[in-house]
Amino acid sequence: MGQHSNWPEWIYIGVVVALLVWVGAEAWNVERIVEHIPEDAETIKVLGQQWFWTFEHEDGTTEIGQLHLEAGKAYRFEVTSKDVIHSFNIHDYVVLLDAVPGRTNIVWFSPTEAGEYDIQCREYCGLIHYNMRGKLIVEDPTA
Amino acid sequence: MKGWFVLLVLAILVIIPAANYVYAAGDEPGEYLDRRVEIWNLFFRMMTVAFTIGAVVSGTIIWLILRFRESNPKAKPTPYEEAGEW
Repeated sequence: MGQHSNWPEWIYIGVVVALLVWVGAEAWNVERIVEHIPEDAETIKVLGQQWFWTFEHEDGTTEIGQLHLEAGKAYRFEVTSKDVIHSFNIHDYVVLLDAVPGRTNIVWFSPTEAGEYDIQCREYCGLIHYNMRGKLIVEDPTA
Repeated sequence: MKGWFVLLVLAILVIIPAANYVYAAGDEPGEYLDRRVEIWNLFFRMMTVAFTIGAVVSGTIIWLILRFRESNPKAKPTPYEEAGEW
């Protein structure tokens, strides 16, 4: 047993460890960059409940089932739920965050293009989960 | 073995939290970015690595199976077999 060389095993272990470290570091770094909220982001309170979304802007304006934002601005969402666990998802902007009763989760994004986008609950939350949708309307501030 | 265990415990207790603390940006405000680009680019980089590793590993296994099969013309008995030890 002691006769043969085992350097290929050590190279293999080294490569695997190096790759795992790289994967972890890369993912950690992207998460760090993505989670950093710009200073001038406007806070929007998002409340999920069976089976619709309510949005409250900083100025107190409330919208139900639809959300009006301006392109080029940053928005910080404080997401929570009134009843069961929901998940706030704007698919086109890769926004996905659980809405948990008694807890406020935070996510931010900045819409880049004017248009209409879907908002959808991504956590099964009861009978009408499939239709717990909303509409994100991104407006062009120069228009 | 004991050394590895100590290193693992130290890593969990000290090294990883220290690295997190040093490299995390803390309370500084972030910059505008397109999270779609960041997240999808991360996904594509990871997929490139995953498929490359998958190709290398499966290629190695296929080579191993073909090279060391008994019917390979280059196959020769191991020293143990030659000596009739088993």
